[in-house]
Amino acid sequence: MSDTRTPILSVQHLSTCFRTDRGVVTAVDDVSFDVFPGETIGIVGESGCGKTVTSKSIMRLLPERTGFIKPGSKILFEGMNLATADEATMRKVRGEKIAMIFQEPMTSLNPVFRVGWQIEEALKYHTTLNRAQRRRRTLEMLKLVEISNPEKRIDEYPHQLSGGMRQRVMIAIALCCEPGILIADEPTTALDVTIQAQILDLMDGLKRKLRTAIVLITHNLGVVAQVCDRVIVMYAGRIIEEGNVREIFHRPRHPYTRALLDSIPKAGMKEHGKRLPTIDGIVPSLFDLPKGCRFQDRCRYKQDRCVAEEPQLILGPDGRLVRCHFPIAERVVPGNRTEGND
Amino acid sequence: MIALARRIAASRAVRKFRRNRLAMASLAVILLYIGIGVGCVVGVITPGEVGQRIGPDSVPGWLEGEPGEKRLADCDFLARQVAAALKRDDPGAAIKEFSLAERRFADLPVAELKKLVEQAAELHDDIADSFDEVGALAGRIAKAIRKDAPVADVLPPEQLAAKRTELEKVQAVAEAKLAQLEELTQRLVPMPEGRAGKLYRARMLLGTDRQGRSILVRAVYSIRVALQVGLVVGITSVVFGTLMGAAAAFFGGWVDNAVTWLYSTFSSIPELVLLSLLAYLFLGVHFADELVPVYAALSLTFWIGPCRVIRGEVLKIKELEFVQAATAIGFGRVYILLKHIIPNTAHLMLINFSLLFIAAIKAEVILTFLGLGVKNGASWGIMIEQSRSEVIQGFFWQIGGATALMFVLVLAFNIVSDALQDAFDPKHVG
Repeated sequence: MSDTRTPILSVQHLSTCFRTDRGVVTAVDDVSFDVFPGETIGIVGESGCGKTVTSKSIMRLLPERTGFIKPGSKILFEGMNLATADEATMRKVRGEKIAMIFQEPMTSLNPVFRVGWQIEEALKYHTTLNRAQRRRRTLEMLKLVEISNPEKRIDEYPHQLSGGMRQRVMIAIALCCEPGILIADEPTTALDVTIQAQILDLMDGLKRKLRTAIVLITHNLGVVAQVCDRVIVMYAGRIIEEGNVREIFHRPRHPYTRALLDSIPKAGMKEHGKRLPTIDGIVPSLFDLPKGCRFQDRCRYKQDRCVAEEPQLILGPDGRLVRCHFPIAERVVPGNRTEGND
Repeated sequence: MIALARRIAASRAVRKFRRNRLAMASLAVILLYIGIGVGCVVGVITPGEVGQRIGPDSVPGWLEGEPGEKRLADCDFLARQVAAALKRDDPGAAIKEFSLAERRFADLPVAELKKLVEQAAELHDDIADSFDEVGALAGRIAKAIRKDAPVADVLPPEQLAAKRTELEKVQAVAEAKLAQLEELTQRLVPMPEGRAGKLYRARMLLGTDRQGRSILVRAVYSIRVALQVGLVVGITSVVFGTLMGAAAAFFGGWVDNAVTWLYSTFSSIPELVLLSLLAYLFLGVHFADELVPVYAALSLTFWIGPCRVIRGEVLKIKELEFVQAATAIGFGRVYILLKHIIPNTAHLMLINFSLLFIAAIKAEVILTFLGLGVKNGASWGIMIEQSRSEVIQGFFWQIGGATALMFVLVLAFNIVSDALQDAFDPKHVG
């Protein structure tokens, strides 16, 4: 990146593998990106493309027996390499410096404890506040995440709260120790659309208030467009395109990004009544990756070179990274399928 | 605290439980048992009372009459107690000292007592002779009226009738003398009056065992032993089993292998054999509390049940997102296991406890019956063991008292745990 600010988190050549019955599979392959203070970075891609594994690698929450980070990977954070840090260090980082929220607010809270207790527990673990101070801080946090009537809610059990409220509580837990980075793994997928919008607004507001960098993992491009500053598009374990959110949406350079954008239904679109474009085929199995470009089987612009040789992630003149031999160059309007490649 | 209690009392499960009349009655019974158990601990019934002789041996309880010979023996027993006291160096003191629970010797001068004892002894011999006579006559009549009686034994009808009237007469005389003797004995060792009398009669309600101890007191005191065993074994095996099972499921790997191996091995041995073996191992060792070997043997076999159940549950829980969320907050693994996962198995711990509580009580009785459990104190097992020879003689008071109390406790507990399960099961809402 041409950015001159210092990143708070720098992921370099991250590869994460899993041992399976059919051999070792590389779920995340040579992924590098930086997160800068106070920005929102979106990681998008379809199911199984490695976005969740990337986030879990940063938090070191991989399944202990089967998942591992390949040697040589670096996750630099505050002078530490989290890829090789020991468990004691990770415990200090988790929650306190990097927090995470999950997809399923219904099961992310412990059902047998009051929500207030669960926030206070995190404070107790990471801060030296006394009981009364923790209680006050918990109430503050509940107010901050815009839970109505926090004095009452603080003593309720998770089953008494709605899904949206539970996700707010999760955000409160994640942010109560003022972490530098919040990793949100599909935070709105399980919520209905109006609640989704509220949660996204909330996260956006909190980011501005607390200067927390957010890594938002989602497959929902609408969510990305709404809150992200920068977008990383992943496909089959690799980053295929990275750039500013406006540029990605208005001038996608990788055919996959382009196809993704095309398959979003648009209100009042001219092709009303026509079939919504989709991407044919499926993501290649990680056990059986093609030799050249991983997107070749589904790409409309496939050429011989795509089969022979895998493209590198190349920094374009406009400061964007694209992994394609034949990136789309012209300014195109999404939905207009008549443009060709160069 | 009060607010919490109110909230629990108003919860759906508690309301549902309270609607179940049978369960509420059973709960009252259990509370009564617990009250008695606590009473025994704080000393309403002392261990001294449990071992104390309160009267003659094997007295049947509660409205059951005794045959003449037994009444004679009872009178003789009491008279001999007085005689023994009189033979002491200081008869006056010995007489003051003596007591059968609330029952004491009459407050009479020593000379008077001596006279009465002699009278009683004479009367006793007399009655014994009468009984011999009765026995001989009854034997003769029985011989004569036997169907296949030899010709020599057969009596003509008028002679038989004469023998019968004679028997009745002798019987009446013996009966009268026996009444006289009993009245004499009553003067020697009077039934206590007022409250003490009521208390004494209560002690005699279920009669006495072979050592003249009150069966009722012993049966009631055994509640304490039973509850103690149930509670200690229930808690230790649930806690131990939960920790083992949860650790096995949570850590997996060699921990899981070790725990699984341990409980499969333990459960492959028949439970009673293992129990006996463990109890036998502890036989030579002396403990401050003689129940310690029972606790150890039962806990070492009973932890398997909860261990298995909790292991299965934790395997499920540890995959839930809140466990991962807790890791993401930065908590350590042991902390997550103890603070976040185990509280989620509380319902299983509760149900397992109620099952093991009853199982432990029954197992203690069996162990004691086999001579491997309680030895000196009171226990339903000891009572049942003692009554083995008594039942043949038609004396059911001991086994009856023990089994009735045990039956009521087990039944009440089963009803309550069933109702608890119904009330707290989230699948049966409404």
